[in-house]
Order: sequence, then structure tokens, then C-alpha cells
Amino acid sequence: MTPEERDALAAEYVLGTLEAREAEALRDAMATDAALAEAVSAWERRLAPLSALAQPEAPPPGLWARIEQSLNPAPMRRQWRFPWPVLGLGASAVAAGLAAFIVLRAPPPPAMMTVLLTSREQPAWLVEARGDTIHLAALNRQQVEPGRVAQLWALPQGATAPTSLGLVPEGGRFSVTPASIRPSPGMLIEITLEPPGGSPTGRPTGPILFIGRLSPASGT
Amino acid sequence: MTDAALLLARIAGGDRNALQALYQAQSVRLFGVAMAILRDREAASDALHDGFVNIARRAGMFDPALGRAEAWLATVIRYAALDIARRRGREIPTDDATLGETPADATQLDTLAADEDGARLRACLEGLPEKNRQGILLAFVNGLSHPQIAARLELPIGTVKSWIRRGLLSLRECLT
Repeated sequence: MTPEERDALAAEYVLGTLEAREAEALRDAMATDAALAEAVSAWERRLAPLSALAQPEAPPPGLWARIEQSLNPAPMRRQWRFPWPVLGLGASAVAAGLAAFIVLRAPPPPAMMTVLLTSREQPAWLVEARGDTIHLAALNRQQVEPGRVAQLWALPQGATAPTSLGLVPEGGRFSVTPASIRPSPGMLIEITLEPPGGSPTGRPTGPILFIGRLSPASGT
Repeated sequence: MTDAALLLARIAGGDRNALQALYQAQSVRLFGVAMAILRDREAASDALHDGFVNIARRAGMFDPALGRAEAWLATVIRYAALDIARRRGREIPTDDATLGETPADATQLDTLAADEDGARLRACLEGLPEKNRQGILLAFVNGLSHPQIAARLELPIGTVKSWIRRGLLSLRECLT
């Protein structure tokens, strides 16, 4: 692609005239082509003032509630119950005898945990943080599209950019001990789709596959 | 930093109240951006929903050094609306008689922000031939596809494509 062709394509993407397949291909290409991503960003800045030509209009009253619901799909308690038996950590007191058994056998309770959800709010990964280490266990079969990799990120509360915790290995379980950050309550954990070898920019470039926020696991 | 930029920084840190404050401050403007593209309140609601879920998850990606927060928000909503328009095969009513004139009429460029960026873009747009400018505005503001613009301007698709491309090239040179 010549620089002129690249720039023309970036301009048409920002303008919105690319068809669905072309727009998707360009989004994919941006993940590995920094010059293309730069050209798109420059066109976004050039044309941004045009958004002011749209007539402001009040959205329907229930819309905020719907957005909030999508961001908090279920009360925390319900999320917790789901994976317990898989990991032998003891559910709420289902049966006293079973609970006693689990308490004896279980590792020390996790300090923090979350369930990473897909964009359709389906549970995909159980995340536990104990001390400095983050443990992940897949709750179902995970498939990454061919030629791409899944990359794990953490965004501590108050931070402006996520930190890479490395690529997600194949197989259901793994642990990471980040060098530069400590697991903390409110920390966002996300897995994004990236080009082979991981994000070339040090920041997520692909779509978020799974996301969740660490919460203290007290009360279990 | 603007209020919206400060709110985005708080959202990146997981502050859900900041997201609600941002919604309250920006949703009327942003719903207008989605409505201009989709012209259907239900579809525009879906766009605002998808866009705000994205904003909540991606707020940490906003870099104040690269532009205004308000522009970044409109970009996120526009892409969400365009994705919906494409999924529907852009089967969106375009027989609205006012559609062509509203954004494409040069006098309407008055609503462009009077700040430096808005004023420069306006001057450059006003320097374009009428149909080049209309094509660009119908695509960006109203989300029309090449065939839809061709039908509206009563020009062959190939002509529309090359005029828009030429218009964008002139804009880039003018804005340099």
C-alpha cells in the first residue's frame, strides 16, 4: 500500500463510507500497521468538528438504566456462586457437612476475585488474586481466532493506561505475578485480541474479549 | 483539561458515578450525533448504549494529548452508529427532504464550533465545490453510503466516489 492509498483508505474509514467488510478489515489492519492507525487518528482529528452539525436531541429516559445494567450484569453474590464447586472453594452453606469438608481442604481464601465476562456478559474466566499473584481459570473452552493471540491486561484504579500481564497461554489455567503492579481492589482485568506476539504498542489495540473488576472476597 | 477529560480519567479508574455524570452532560449532544446517522430513536438508543459501554471500558485509552475529550466521545458514538447502520445494510430512510440541505447547506456550517479547529475546517469546507462538500457532509454527519449519496445528489456512484476522494485530499492540504 502506498502512503497515498493508505491515507485515502483511512479518510474513507473515518468518513464512514467503507462497507462493513472493508471497515472490519481496516480495523484489523490497524492492529499491526502503526502508520495506518496514525493516519486514521489524524483524520479523526481533522473531521471531528463536523459532529457539531448534528442536531442535539434528548435520548429516551430509560437509556441510562439500560447502559448501567449492561455494565453490572448481575449482583456480585450471584457471580460468586457460579464457579465455586469447580474450584473447591466452598459455596454458600449448601450443606453443612460438605462445607466443613471444603474448609479443611481449601487453600486460603483468595484476597480478591472477579469473573471476566464476554461482551455478551457470559462468564468466561475466574480470576483470583492472592498476594502478588493473579490466578486465572477458564470456565469454558476458549478459542482465539487463527493468527491472533489473547493478551492479558490490568488497569489499577486511578491509572490511565493498562499494564500488559503477558499473553494468555493455551489451556485452561495459569498464574501471573506482575512485576510492576500489585493486584488491588477495583483493578480492571481484561483480555484483548492482539496480533501475533502481542500488542506492538504496549497498549491494547484489539477488541476486548473478556473483562472484569477485582473485588475483595471478604464474607465468603 | 475539560470536564469531560477529567470525567474520562475518573471513569478509567473505575468511578461509575463519573460515567453517569458524563452521560448526563453529553448524552443529548451524542444522541443527536447517533440520530443524524440512524434517524430512528430505537437504533440511535442502541448506538448510544453500545458507545457508552465502550466508553466505560475504554476510557483509559483516551489520550488528552491527542485531542479533545468531546471529540473522542463523538468518534466512539459515530463508529457505534455506523456499525449499526452497516449491520442493517444501511436500510435507513433517506427520503427526508430536509436531510440534504440541513447539513450540506453552507450556511448551516455556522453551527461549527467557533474554536480554532472548527473555524479552520469551516473555511476549508467552504472552499470546496458544492457537491464535494455535500458528499463529505452527507457521509460524515448522516452516515450515507456512496450509493445513497449518489441517489441524493443525482450523480453516478463512480463520480461521487472520486469527488469525495478529491474533496478529502483538498481538505487535507487546506488543513495542513
